[in-house]
Amino acid sequence: MARLKSFILWCWSVVVGFWRIISRPSAYLPLGLLTLGGFVGGVLFWGGFNTALEVTNTEKFCTSCHEMRDNVYQELQSTVHFSNRSGVRATCPDCHVPHNWTDKIARKMQASKEVWGKIFGTISTREKFLNMRLELAKHEWARLKANDSLECRNCHSSVAMDFTKQTRRAAEIHGRYLTTGEKTCIDCHKGIAHLLPDMTGIEPGWKDAPELQGKGSASWHGPERAMRTYLAEIGQ
Amino acid sequence: MRSLTLLGAVLAAGLVLAFGAAFSQEGAPVKIVPRLTGTADPMALERVPALGRAVVDDVRRMRNYPEQPPVIPHSIDGYQLTLNTNRCMDCHKREFTEGSGAPMISVTHFQDRDGQVLSDVTPRRYFCTACHVQQTDVPPLVQNRFQDAKDIGRKP
Amino acid sequence: MTLSRREMLKAQAASVAALAANMSVPAEAQPVSGGVDTLQIKWSKAPCRFCGTGCGVMVGVKEGRVIATHGDMKADVNRGLNCIKGYFLSKIMYGSDRLTQPLLRKKNGVYAKDGEFTPVSWAEAFDTMAAKAKETLKAKGPTALGMFGSGQWTIFEGYAATKLMRAGFRSNNLDPNARHCMASAAYAFMRTFGMDEPMGCYDDFEHADAFVLWGSNMAEMHPILWTRVTDRRLGQPHVKVAVLSTFTHRSSDLADIPIVFKPGTDLAILNYIANHIISTGRVNKDFVEKHTTFVKGATDIGYGLRPDDPREVKARKAADPAATTPSDFEAYAAFVKDYTLEKVSALTGVEPGFLQQLAELYADPKRKVVSFWTMGFNQHVRGVWANQLVYNLHLLTGKISEPGNSPFSLTGQPSACGTAREVGTFAHRLPADMTVTNPEHRKHTEEIWRVPNGIIPEKPGYHAVEQDRMLKDGKLNFYWIQVNNNLQAAPNSSNETYPGYRNPENFVVVSDAYPTVTAMAADLILPAAMWVEKEGAYGNAERRTHVWHQLVNAPGEARSDLWQLMEFSKRFTTDEVWPAEILDANPNYRGKTLFDVLYRNGNVDKFALSEISPDYENQESKDFGFYVHKGLFEEYATFGRGHGHDLGPYELYHEVRGLRWPVVDGKETLWRYREGLDPYVQPGKGVEFYGNKDGKARIIAVPYEPPAESPDAEYDLWLVTGRVLEHWHSGSMTMRVPELYKAFPGARCFMHPEDARKRGLNQGAEITVISRRGEMRTRVETRGRNRMPPGVVFVPWFDASQLINKTTLDATDPISKQTDFKKCAVKIVPVSG
Repeated sequence: MARLKSFILWCWSVVVGFWRIISRPSAYLPLGLLTLGGFVGGVLFWGGFNTALEVTNTEKFCTSCHEMRDNVYQELQSTVHFSNRSGVRATCPDCHVPHNWTDKIARKMQASKEVWGKIFGTISTREKFLNMRLELAKHEWARLKANDSLECRNCHSSVAMDFTKQTRRAAEIHGRYLTTGEKTCIDCHKGIAHLLPDMTGIEPGWKDAPELQGKGSASWHGPERAMRTYLAEIGQ
Repeated sequence: MRSLTLLGAVLAAGLVLAFGAAFSQEGAPVKIVPRLTGTADPMALERVPALGRAVVDDVRRMRNYPEQPPVIPHSIDGYQLTLNTNRCMDCHKREFTEGSGAPMISVTHFQDRDGQVLSDVTPRRYFCTACHVQQTDVPPLVQNRFQDAKDIGRKP
Repeated sequence: MTLSRREMLKAQAASVAALAANMSVPAEAQPVSGGVDTLQIKWSKAPCRFCGTGCGVMVGVKEGRVIATHGDMKADVNRGLNCIKGYFLSKIMYGSDRLTQPLLRKKNGVYAKDGEFTPVSWAEAFDTMAAKAKETLKAKGPTALGMFGSGQWTIFEGYAATKLMRAGFRSNNLDPNARHCMASAAYAFMRTFGMDEPMGCYDDFEHADAFVLWGSNMAEMHPILWTRVTDRRLGQPHVKVAVLSTFTHRSSDLADIPIVFKPGTDLAILNYIANHIISTGRVNKDFVEKHTTFVKGATDIGYGLRPDDPREVKARKAADPAATTPSDFEAYAAFVKDYTLEKVSALTGVEPGFLQQLAELYADPKRKVVSFWTMGFNQHVRGVWANQLVYNLHLLTGKISEPGNSPFSLTGQPSACGTAREVGTFAHRLPADMTVTNPEHRKHTEEIWRVPNGIIPEKPGYHAVEQDRMLKDGKLNFYWIQVNNNLQAAPNSSNETYPGYRNPENFVVVSDAYPTVTAMAADLILPAAMWVEKEGAYGNAERRTHVWHQLVNAPGEARSDLWQLMEFSKRFTTDEVWPAEILDANPNYRGKTLFDVLYRNGNVDKFALSEISPDYENQESKDFGFYVHKGLFEEYATFGRGHGHDLGPYELYHEVRGLRWPVVDGKETLWRYREGLDPYVQPGKGVEFYGNKDGKARIIAVPYEPPAESPDAEYDLWLVTGRVLEHWHSGSMTMRVPELYKAFPGARCFMHPEDARKRGLNQGAEITVISRRGEMRTRVETRGRNRMPPGVVFVPWFDASQLINKTTLDATDPISKQTDFKKCAVKIVPVSG
């Protein structure tokens, strides 16, 4: 906590100092030096910015706060995204920070609110976290819904799925809902990496079968239904 | 089905033979099957076989008798079943079966303690895994001689 | 067989439609060929064979075989539900390795300790056994003779056993495996209320506003009771559930208040709640004044280890751990004042917010609370204290003995209450809460049993853990084990249990249905009839006595434990086993067999075979020539009738789905100690804890004391052992049911993923769990139903090839002598190569 505060203060003093220097016109330095200096400074700034971005984009950074470490990270550890057959792992930013630059910066700016929350202890205890979980989860669901589950798809490309390698049930459902664009990953896979909040009123992705929406007779249980209809008819 | 049972018996017998080496002299009245009887030297350390893998072939298994809860033939790894959510119901709830293609939970699950039928699954049946379990691909250690009712009492 | 035209059409249509749907209809799916009679199943009631919940099941029998079972709709406990184990009861008797004949270790045709198991006749088995028993009696006297029984014994079996041991062989070395299971609960009941077993019943569940689980994973261990808790919690949204445990498990999934505390610190939480109740002024003063008294318990009482263990030598009060001194409310309030929120939160590792929420459940006078506990409390080196501390909370607030307000001790075995406790098969107990140390009690018992005065010895016998120690030390030499698998269940088994079984001085007999680890370590194995292969009676956790008929025959020569006990007694005469001075004073007992004096005593043989229902078989009665079960039951019931333990007439129990004692005038009692609900409470008293002479319950002041062994730098993990849903106890029945076996085919070590990574262990990797006492091999599980906190691992004990009890510590609660299976220190290393 103290480290975080001193880091923020340090950043601020650097910015202020920098502004003091550059807000005055140059009286002594040649233009070439200034240009070169600007270039070098730019490289340094860019490098530093990117490094900072990278550092804050690791699981280690995320779990350096106990709020993340004691809650969501604990839950992640028993899921398939943490331990699986091939040992390929998803870390926090893989799913929660957009990979595309502009979106990433936008998300990072949003994160300033989380820093605020950290300072004021919004979810400083398990009790508070559990009470906030629904709201926090809804943010992530909305984001993933809006970007068509982009962070899922960074690894799980739907066109690259081999349906013969999936269980029949999964292949069937993916064929009906995913590849048709009817639904997106997060519609059905909420809670894939963390425990779920109170899900009252939040329905699964497949409430209505696509082929039934606004249509009449086509059905999942075609043969059985045909038999039932037939029996009903001759029973008259 | 019968050939499957036979296969199971042969497998089980094979297993008994494999593990029963220590006691395998002719006519030994008790076979050593470590998971059941302990190892030949009960205090010895023996290799532990790998954990079984869940059967996820989506093939419905025949019940031993109608009252038996069906076993789960698919993966439930990571399915949450808590105060907050019931992942099983996402597919098996009446309203969702059309979309999911899953079998609807049985009508008995709508009855409360007094046998009254409710409009949805009764809260007392909420935790599905108390009765419905997954199976692993591990063959049984010994044969079970339970006889199916259909093989009893039907005189031709 | 005639079919109407319409039926014909339908049948045809079905096959046409089936063809169209590309399904094949096998020949057997055709209409009933032999008429509806071929479909008939004979259904009879029975309690479930497994846990202490005591669910009613309907058992379907056809041609002498059980072909189906399902939950009994008429049974109040479960109303038609069973858990996964209960639904598979049909298959537990049919494992192909059932024992069907006695097996004796023989070499060159005669018994030898190092011989091979050889089939023998019952006559040879009993002859050898009787010779060994007589040899032991002659050489060392009755204290060298012992028996280890069970909370799975039927009431008749436990009762026949206690008679045979105490009055026949004159040995109190009789203890049940319930000692490992709920001795702490039983002692705490006696110390608090002067009377064993819960005041409430399962009907409390439908009246409660809050449930608190103290070290109980009901979702897996008492699944049907959990359905009732779930029903209440989900059906009535104001209801709250708090789950306290040393790790997160399936019961935590229903928790509004999930609490994971550091092992052993539950004592501090309990005292904090008492402090919270007092400091916020929510003590029910009227109740406390009228119905309670205060005592202070002895502290620093040791850990029930062998007396030369440094921890015992150091403990100041190890010699008299149960001592108490009178106290008062003020002293008690001052005592618990120390247990502040901050201090307890730091000690237990639990967030203050959760502790406060939990304390409020008890403190809030508008909330009705049920507290549950099982092995988390009972298998605890301070188990009796833990039990008593929770009674403190209910007594301080007056939340007791009324619908919905109930401290409720759950039990693990089907007749832990009915047989082990009520019949009195503990080393110090007699029927109906009496003890062998009390001369009045002994005299009363001898009168009912119709045996001479002075027959029952007054010194309590060896308790479970001590029996193992004495076998090892060669002081207990003839040992009979029935219906349990103690070599798998007992703590520190490779040092303290196995050496005793294989001690050449000892003769060990095991009666079981299957070859268990224990059976295989014995010298003589007797094949036992199980469950509905005999007439039986169990008593569940809510005082419900439930009787069943024999529904099928046992395979081969297998015989019930009751038959074995009674038949064996025929091989001893009073002159051989009773002291001459007693026989001189009672010459009419001379020349009789123990069978004659114990079971043909005019009570047990009082009822003729004609009283047995003609619809059912009854093997033992036919063999002995009288209705054994009714005779034993009626004699046993004499102890409790009129003394607060009343049982109804035997026939009644065959009609109903069990009755909760005291059964007075044919009516069961749901809540004890409260006027209007319990006929034993004197009019005008309101509440009367009549087990104690002053009618008051005890509130005790005892502190937090640390466990016997805690992790250190070398042995750096807490080990907790326990059960899983699919397997019951040592798995001897459930591991033989293919569906249950395949659902959970082997033990494993649940651990935190970070603990695994730190040690370089993959999910599923093979490991060795090592303690100061022994080691076992298993595999790592970092996922699944149990979510461990860092530093704590859980290993179930059902797997005969992975004996976790080789590593556990034989520390017990010094008062109850019950082992702590939940706390010892281990280290874990990968198996290399």
